[in-house]
Amino acid sequence: MTFASILEWLIKGFVWVMILLGGFAYLTYYERRALARIQVRIGPNRAGPLGLLQPIADAIKLIFKEELMPARADKLLFFLAPIITLTPALVITAVVPFGPEGLNFPLFGRVITWQIADINVGILYIMSIASIAVYGIVLAGWSSNNKYAMLGGLRSTAQMISYELALGLSFVSVIVLADSTRMIDIVEAQKSMWFMVLQPVGMVIFLIATLAEVNRSPFDMPEAEQELAAGYHSEYGGMKFALLFMAEYDKMIAICIIAATIFFGGYREFWFLQNTWFSVDQTPILGPVYVFIKVFILLFGMIWVRATLPRIRYDRLMAFGWKILLPLSLALVFLTATGILLAQEVNPLFMWGIPVVSLAAGFIAILGMYQTLRRKEHARA
Amino acid sequence: MTAEQILFLLTGALILGSALMVVATRKLLHAALWLVAALFGVAILYAILQASFLAVVQVVVYIGAIAILFIFAVMLTRREMRDQGQQTRTNWWIAALLGLLILAGLVFLILAVPGADRLPAALPEGLDTVRALGNALVSPEAYVLPFEVASVLLLAALVGAVYIASVGKKD
Amino acid sequence: MTQSDLITILPLLALVVWACALLLVDLFIPKGRKGWTALLAAAGLALTMGLTLAQAGREASGFGGMLRLDGFSTFLNVLFLGSGLLGVAVAYGYLKRMDLERGEFYSLLLFSITGMMLMAQAADLIVIFLALELLSIPLYVLAAFARPRADSEEAGLKYFLLGAFSTGFVVYGITLVFGATGTTSLAKIVEVLAAGSLGTGSLLLTIGAALILVGFSFKVAAVPFHMWTPDVYQGAPTPVTAFMSVGAKAAGFAALMRIFVMAFPSLSADLTPVLWALAALTMFIGNIIAISQTNIKRMLAYSSIAHAGYILMALVAYGNPAVAADSVASALFYLVAYAVTSFGAWSVVMSLEKPDAKGLEINDFAGLGRRNPLLAAAMTIFMLSFTGMPPTLGLVGKFFLFRTAIEGGFIGLAIIGVLTSLISAYYYLRVVVTMYMREGEPQAEGEYWLTFTTVVTALATVVLQFLPAALFALAAGAVLK
Repeated sequence: MTFASILEWLIKGFVWVMILLGGFAYLTYYERRALARIQVRIGPNRAGPLGLLQPIADAIKLIFKEELMPARADKLLFFLAPIITLTPALVITAVVPFGPEGLNFPLFGRVITWQIADINVGILYIMSIASIAVYGIVLAGWSSNNKYAMLGGLRSTAQMISYELALGLSFVSVIVLADSTRMIDIVEAQKSMWFMVLQPVGMVIFLIATLAEVNRSPFDMPEAEQELAAGYHSEYGGMKFALLFMAEYDKMIAICIIAATIFFGGYREFWFLQNTWFSVDQTPILGPVYVFIKVFILLFGMIWVRATLPRIRYDRLMAFGWKILLPLSLALVFLTATGILLAQEVNPLFMWGIPVVSLAAGFIAILGMYQTLRRKEHARA
Repeated sequence: MTAEQILFLLTGALILGSALMVVATRKLLHAALWLVAALFGVAILYAILQASFLAVVQVVVYIGAIAILFIFAVMLTRREMRDQGQQTRTNWWIAALLGLLILAGLVFLILAVPGADRLPAALPEGLDTVRALGNALVSPEAYVLPFEVASVLLLAALVGAVYIASVGKKD
Repeated sequence: MTQSDLITILPLLALVVWACALLLVDLFIPKGRKGWTALLAAAGLALTMGLTLAQAGREASGFGGMLRLDGFSTFLNVLFLGSGLLGVAVAYGYLKRMDLERGEFYSLLLFSITGMMLMAQAADLIVIFLALELLSIPLYVLAAFARPRADSEEAGLKYFLLGAFSTGFVVYGITLVFGATGTTSLAKIVEVLAAGSLGTGSLLLTIGAALILVGFSFKVAAVPFHMWTPDVYQGAPTPVTAFMSVGAKAAGFAALMRIFVMAFPSLSADLTPVLWALAALTMFIGNIIAISQTNIKRMLAYSSIAHAGYILMALVAYGNPAVAADSVASALFYLVAYAVTSFGAWSVVMSLEKPDAKGLEINDFAGLGRRNPLLAAAMTIFMLSFTGMPPTLGLVGKFFLFRTAIEGGFIGLAIIGVLTSLISAYYYLRVVVTMYMREGEPQAEGEYWLTFTTVVTALATVVLQFLPAALFALAAGAVLK
């Protein structure tokens, strides 16, 4: 741990945080435009060309807004909560590699990598940061001294804890497939085939669980405006609200980056570009570009879901997490491990048993879900 | 003094200070948060010792799950934001004295152990600690038995907890 | 996994698998027919008992020396499984009568017995710790099984809190021992001690051992770590109390003997004065407070504390190498005597218990001699056995204990033992007097399995005393080397 390496981390971290903050601003723009298109509107288009300056206008507005402190709020926590919410969203992507080894370059006698921290438990680091992300929201809800905010905070805690299990287990399948917990190894293991192909159900579970983790629709119960005003951030305004808002969108970006890395080949090229000039082995500089493209597409998916699906009822949300996703992802871990063992010991073709059997398991889960939902049609709320 | 030692001392101060605040603060939720800080300090200690897996597990399990459940329980039960009652009993100083004595005894004991003042040796290059840990947990010659017993124990505890918490018809 | 591993763990494995399967099968057994669950649980225990007996005489070590199979473990495992079988037998009718019939009871019981067996077989401090938890946690729940009855909930909570507290002592002791010796394996600790290179670390080791002793003293309810016992024994459903007073205590002693005999033989000598004081205090306080009890469950709770003191006496004698082997054998023997007697006494209590914890005063036994001579006779036998009077197993057990203590040179302790036994005669015989000399109309339950248990334990208490040599030889064969 030398001074130079600390300096390197600081600089890389600073640059990355700046990128995330800018990304947040333009993600809101992206979302508003995309939503508008889906709803056959135009969206923000006045500030600057194509409305591109709209995020800056919004930022200025939020900064100059008056801030309120609710009476009898827990002042310290009320102040800290937005910061605690934002921090995990900013640091969670620190272990994600954005470029292949070929892109590393020497600078002042050090090799600069395209990754802020290369730790050997990278994917578990992501898991641990995801698990503490809930604190900010729960504290925001509690410290506001407002019943709606508190209910929102409680809801989000319960929801995030529940979906964390399925999320963690879908990480486990990836770890087993890549035989490593280092992020670079995971990406390189997808050189010939993305884990999305081997682990389709795991990918779906991951995407659903992350939607719940970041409280995005259709799992945005913590801020359901019809029931809870605005949920945990009811009492927040001005810059503090902006921080909460920023955390939410940065989390979206972060999970899309993570999803791209562990299921969609990370900085690796698309499969049909293998061994061409477009592959990262030949043109390393394309690595970050591929990550950007994948994240862009995944973000569109999230916006699309928001535009399409209605909010899910709270008891069903919990039941879905505990009774469908958790057993299914447990089964997937078992299936994956069995498949790998058979492929190693008997015949490599057994590797293909993993997607086939897991798709069957996923189908059974959907059937089961359909049955229970049908049976509960007249259930009391 | 190396950077690691300074880091260790800072972490130690963080853990002790937060642990003290856990019992000293009046607000229950603040106590829970100080506990989180103390647990986080322990995770840092693991990281300093290069036990990265344990550090991460410490965060996931203790901070991400157990402490959150504390906070959850506090939020669901407590209306009052702060504790109004007396914080200490009149003979608190006896307890403090005892604590100090035990601390002194422990320090004495630990210093007496040969090698207690050594720095941890660096891990051999290329040692995959996660893999080594995983192998130890499933190898019959190492820790597969405690590992499996722990899983049975958790199952039993789960059954028990469900029984205790389930609302019977008689309630 | 080698064959040796498999042989060592076979009975345990069978019981764990059976317990998990029972959880599943119980889902398909309709409410009100939980007798099937009880039957299946008993079958599992019997099967494990068969496996254990089939392994008798075998010695093996598995999982890198973490688990041992030897005479000691076989002897205790049979004791645990036997008390489990009796526990199921008395619980079936009781749960039905008290409207507590739930399938989880039997699964939890099996899990707890698994923990006890593991405790008897463990040869590594980590496994001992896990076994302690595995046997305790189901017992915490079982103590609160009659919820929402307040006293049962209180019992569960108290047992849980104090149990967790005592586990803390054990864990802390284990860490200190590990710090001193660098290993958790009992066999390796002996090697380190024999090498004698510990230096100042031996103080650390002594303190660690003392903390472990404190932790297990909670489990076996030795004074001054006995406070939880009366409340927990009183509040818990009576079959659970019976099982706890026998199984948990025996398991606690199993761990103590395993640790102190196997790992710290030299240390036991250092700790002899501590154990001496512990045993003497336990015998005194247990017996003296028992006198003032009017509730039979509380009285038996204090009596169980007192008996922990008697068994501790054997461990004191272990400090003298000349009688070391005899001391373990007599402790094991006394455990059996106590187990049989205690289960019998609790089954009589259950026969008279009415819903909502009624019928549990000693006065409720008045007139039992006339109303139900069989039950009264059985209770008399148990009370005599507890006191250590002929013609019962208790007499033989105490004889061996006192003999070991005297031969080991602990005459003072033996005198305390005899004196406190005399004190105990007062409150044990008071029950007998109440049953025969006072008028009353007690309504005893005639449930088949309960009566069966009473009769079997009463017969065992009387008959076994005629072959003490054979039984003692069995116990002596189980002595740790």
